[in-house]
Amino acid sequence: MVSSKTMKISGRKWVGAGCMAMILFLSACGSNNTADTANSGSAATTAPSAAATTAPSEPKTVTDSMGHKVTVPANPQRVLGSYLEDQLVTLGVTPVAQWSVANGIQDYLSAELKDVPTISYDLPLEAVTSFAPDFIIVGSESSVQNGLYDQLNKVAPTYVLGNEINKNWRKGLTTIGELLGKSAEAEQAIKNYDQKAAEAKGKLTGAVGSQSAAVLWLVQKNFFLVDETQASGSVLYTDLGMTPPNLVTEIPADQKAAWNPVSLEKLSELTADHIFLVNSDKAEGSEILNSAIWKGIPAVKAGHVYELSSTGSWLYSGANANGKTIDDVLKLLVK
Amino acid sequence: MSKYSLTPYEKRQPHWGVTLLSVLGLLIVVIVVVSMNTGYMRLSPSEVLHTLSGQGTPQQKLILFDFRLPRIVISLLVGAGFAVSGCILQSLSRNPLAEPATLGISAGAGFAVILFISFVPASSAASIFMLPLLALAGAGLTAALIYVLAFRREEGLSPTRLVLIGIAVAAGINAFQLVLALRLDPENYQFVAIWMAGKIWGGDWRFVQALLPWILILVPFSIYKARVLNVLNLGDQTSTGLGAPVERERLLLLATAVALAGACVSVSGGIGFVGLIGPHLARRLVGPRHQILLPACALIGGLLLLTADTLGRWILQPSEIPAGVVVAIIGAPYFLYLLAKSRA
Repeated sequence: MVSSKTMKISGRKWVGAGCMAMILFLSACGSNNTADTANSGSAATTAPSAAATTAPSEPKTVTDSMGHKVTVPANPQRVLGSYLEDQLVTLGVTPVAQWSVANGIQDYLSAELKDVPTISYDLPLEAVTSFAPDFIIVGSESSVQNGLYDQLNKVAPTYVLGNEINKNWRKGLTTIGELLGKSAEAEQAIKNYDQKAAEAKGKLTGAVGSQSAAVLWLVQKNFFLVDETQASGSVLYTDLGMTPPNLVTEIPADQKAAWNPVSLEKLSELTADHIFLVNSDKAEGSEILNSAIWKGIPAVKAGHVYELSSTGSWLYSGANANGKTIDDVLKLLVK
Repeated sequence: MSKYSLTPYEKRQPHWGVTLLSVLGLLIVVIVVVSMNTGYMRLSPSEVLHTLSGQGTPQQKLILFDFRLPRIVISLLVGAGFAVSGCILQSLSRNPLAEPATLGISAGAGFAVILFISFVPASSAASIFMLPLLALAGAGLTAALIYVLAFRREEGLSPTRLVLIGIAVAAGINAFQLVLALRLDPENYQFVAIWMAGKIWGGDWRFVQALLPWILILVPFSIYKARVLNVLNLGDQTSTGLGAPVERERLLLLATAVALAGACVSVSGGIGFVGLIGPHLARRLVGPRHQILLPACALIGGLLLLTADTLGRWILQPSEIPAGVVVAIIGAPYFLYLLAKSRA
């Protein structure tokens, strides 16, 4: 392959030739691709519009929270909304895949999502492609940063709700309803929920007045307190009119998270009348609950601790989750 | 570098270097083909071929051209960049432990990126091309700091002090990084955590575009400077005696290594070990002459990282192991073996 004459060429020239070959190879890859990207891009957008010919309405173009112009197919059939399953189920839409992490799924929806395959929370692109969605909804901006949005958008039109909307399930449901042409269902679901909450509030006030209650999540030997406005916190304090305990109201506004870590020592100062304990450590024995400090908390002494399964709805938000949380509260506090 | 007594290089046949580079090139082609066939979606080799010739379904084209190929190219580029950067640093400092990660240059670049992620909302679109520049600034500042701290007027740049100060600076930066990361919201934190573990996350042709110029200019430039590196590798006094403008050349080459590392970190996060093991392997295979050592480094680095990324995609399907973790898992035992062998 290499003649003896060329071998006398100095090493440096060979090196140069090698570099050139590499550069050519790489740039060839690059230029090939640009053409193909365009191809596959247009192919992806023609697919939904073909489906639209059978649907009554037209595809519509909207702007999402990150400023992307998104063309929503007229009647999306294969929707992917990871961690938005509560909203989709409420609207009567079965997603093509459901959110999952290594150690589980959203168990409280397992009946509604029985036959729905799982997809990893970080939306691996090839997995997304394999489900062939025709519309993708993403909850938070940060989950699609640094180019992931553009990649997803190549698979199917992708709409980002944004944190502002996503952290309020009513707004989220309304927006998703508008996107999927199910505004009426969204409105009805919110109305139904509000009515259910109002009735429950009446019963609850009759039973316990406006006593205070804390929601504690025990996971891997650490306690977390729910924020007043999030998940089961919004149900208890906003919808059902219970009083948030001292430890929740004392958290400085700029350090609030949906679930705030709290040490066992700090918990000894908890003055709540009731404690709802979401125990994710049950399988590991949750020995921390045998400690003297835990047993010294007033609500624990009074026997007002209600242990909830970690497969329940208390860690989640949405019409469905919150409805189930209300059922739990009534069952536990209204005798 | 004379202690590598029985390396393949020393047992070499005539034309060894050229043969070796061709073999490495071939290996890369093989792994590229394997990598194109590896992933969540089953694509048979014939389907891959079909798609490559432009006849696949839109779905297959999307997976191959938009998801897998850019990732393959980025792995090759980043691996090559880290290995060449590590090789230059090892020769400049005459310390076999020097590489972007041990010297804190990667940490500095990463810190700049994390600062950016923490304080600029994710919705700003300009970030892809901003990241290499930011990482570069971070890497440059860190390198300057280490250089100033390690440099003594009387004795010049002491190899040991350079590495020790590098490790100290890296530890400091990592501590700051952790403090910063703890204040992030969970989703940003997750991104940062995965990023710090070294994942080829920028599977996008725009990342290739952002990275390619750096590699295309700096790798050939360092090869062009190979003879200077050969001389500097002999130590300051000898180099000065041989007539090399030591200080100027060293700064220039240091800047090259830092820029390469910074650009790579911005796309792949903190992937260590490639910059350490790549040059070591290359030196055992082709010897200390930088004319052939640097290209060998580039090829071996690319090969290593691509292999690691392909394995990471395959071992625990459907989840992925960051390539940086895979490199460390493969790299650490090999490195211990090398150490044990060089003692004996």
